[in-house]
Amino acid sequence: MIIIDRLCYCSKLRYVNAGEKSAFTVLTLAACILSRSCAVALFVLAATGVLTVYKGGLPLFRYLKLMSMPAAFLLLGTAAIFINISKVPLGAFAFSAGSYYITGSFQGLRQGAELILTALAGISCLYFLSLSTPVTDILTVLKRLHVPALILELMLLIYRYIFVMLKLAEDITVSQHARLGNRNLAASRKSFAAMVSSIFILSIRRSGQLYDALESRCYNGTLRVLPEDHPAKASEVFCIAVFELFLYLAVIFLKLSGGMP
Amino acid sequence: MKLSEDHNIDREILLEAERLFYTYEGESTPALNGLSLTIKRGKKIACMGANGSGKSTFFLCCNGIYTPSSGSLYLSGRPVGRTKKDLLMLRRKVGIVFQDPDRQLFAASVRQEISFGPLNLGFSEEETRRRVDAVMEELGITAYAHKPVHALSGGQKKLVSIADILVMEPELIILDEPAAALDPFYTEMVHQITRRITERGITVMMATHDVNYAYEWADEIILFDEGRILRQGHPAGLFSDHALLKKTHLTPPMLLTVFHQLQSRNLIREKSPAPRNMEELKSRLTSPPDTQEQNGFPASPPDTQEQNSCLAQQEELSI
Ligand SMILES: Nc1ncnc2c1ncn2[C@@H]1O[C@H](COP(=O)(O)OP(=O)(O)OP(=O)(O)O)[C@@H](O)[C@H]1O
Ligand SMILES: [Mg+2]
Repeated sequence: MIIIDRLCYCSKLRYVNAGEKSAFTVLTLAACILSRSCAVALFVLAATGVLTVYKGGLPLFRYLKLMSMPAAFLLLGTAAIFINISKVPLGAFAFSAGSYYITGSFQGLRQGAELILTALAGISCLYFLSLSTPVTDILTVLKRLHVPALILELMLLIYRYIFVMLKLAEDITVSQHARLGNRNLAASRKSFAAMVSSIFILSIRRSGQLYDALESRCYNGTLRVLPEDHPAKASEVFCIAVFELFLYLAVIFLKLSGGMP
Repeated sequence: MKLSEDHNIDREILLEAERLFYTYEGESTPALNGLSLTIKRGKKIACMGANGSGKSTFFLCCNGIYTPSSGSLYLSGRPVGRTKKDLLMLRRKVGIVFQDPDRQLFAASVRQEISFGPLNLGFSEEETRRRVDAVMEELGITAYAHKPVHALSGGQKKLVSIADILVMEPELIILDEPAAALDPFYTEMVHQITRRITERGITVMMATHDVNYAYEWADEIILFDEGRILRQGHPAGLFSDHALLKKTHLTPPMLLTVFHQLQSRNLIREKSPAPRNMEELKSRLTSPPDTQEQNGFPASPPDTQEQNSCLAQQEELSI
């Protein structure tokens, strides 16, 4: 999460209007979920990959590394769909193990592949957004969509203080290690507990202090800040519209041709 | 009110505190114990005193964050009440730069952070944008306007937290140990900014433990001790009072010690006032009789040697 935050501030797409990027993400994500087809998923994967790596300027290996984390998780998660344990061997593959077979059907394989690809495509959409759009810009979009101010302020403060608290946790951990707080399992368990409780206390104190600091700048109940706005470009909007139109036509065509169960 | 009418007469006085008492919840000893002081317009004021002597607590009272249990505060001669309007006026006129930037900075990007104050003061987005840009330009932080606050270094965060307050254009800026935890580069930068703020006619009050800087910079030193003002006065006089310094955990500034040593050895021109900086000290040295260069090499006459040894001695003393 921290690395994503750092990368998004370097993205070449950072100053593209956040509304455009969010609309693209949401629409494409919805297309993936609606279609549940390998073709659409592969197409979306390619499109977002090109956008993030080529247009956004993210190093390819970074992107692959980021994608590999959810991919590994998905593979493990869908293993149950691929692999069956049964007394009769199924179509796709079978290994005998005693009187049982570890086996899988073509149907299961296809279902698994669809699931993985769709999920990966969805993740790549979200990566596209989070690797190109800082949280502040997303908040501006949400504000335009009339999300309640309270929720937005909470999001802003949580986002900011994640980093303050992480730094605190890091400092405490370092100081514990410096005093051999992790010399064995029991000690490190104790140290960890001490760290968590002190962070809890510190964060309560911090919140009081932050409130004081806000008040000293005439805080009156709403956190008003300048919106981070970058004007939308007609050409970009046009490209996104064409892309989505094509994508949705493909989805509808696939649904109508009824190929997908 | 008789008193406030009297205050109205003196336009020089920006802020006045009268017998403030404040005790933190659950503490037995008061943090402010009958503190009274006046702050004159346009001055450079250094607040000094031992750890826990009540400087930060006083600052938060100056801004209406803490309500003193008794005593009163006057802003430009008018008593400050607890009404929303009075507090808003106070906070508009008095800005605090907190010691720890992480305690002050809440927004995710630098620009948004700085825009918070002016928007609260009711400026339009247009006007706010203009002011924010101007302040960022002035402090040289435009380069990281769009950076997230958590990606900044400690020194950069400090500059942003100063910009936060400067953009609101208060009449009094309070800096709570602005150079704490800064490297020499950023310390110098903060000092330069402080100088520029004063040149713009803004009164600056700064808490600091750096006696050398306070001595050189301040027009006036306020010595805090156990929630009260022990002394308020001109740096040279105040720092020459050794008993007073000892009581407040302070050491005399190096420059002044050197000056007194030189004076006691008759190396200083008769009856010159204490110098405020190195240049002034140099100009007050009696010119040694034979400092002409010989054969292109600077001569080292006995006088200079004596000065050097005296300086060395002084260093040993202070160590
Ligand atoms: N949040 C708090 N809760 C309880 N007591 C406090 C709190 N903050 C300060 N104090 C106490 O109030 C007194 C004055 O503290 P204050 O922070 O004003 O001193 P200071 O002069 O700013 O010190 P320093 O030079 O260390 O910053 C101290 O005795 C301190 O222990
Ligand atoms: Mg303090």
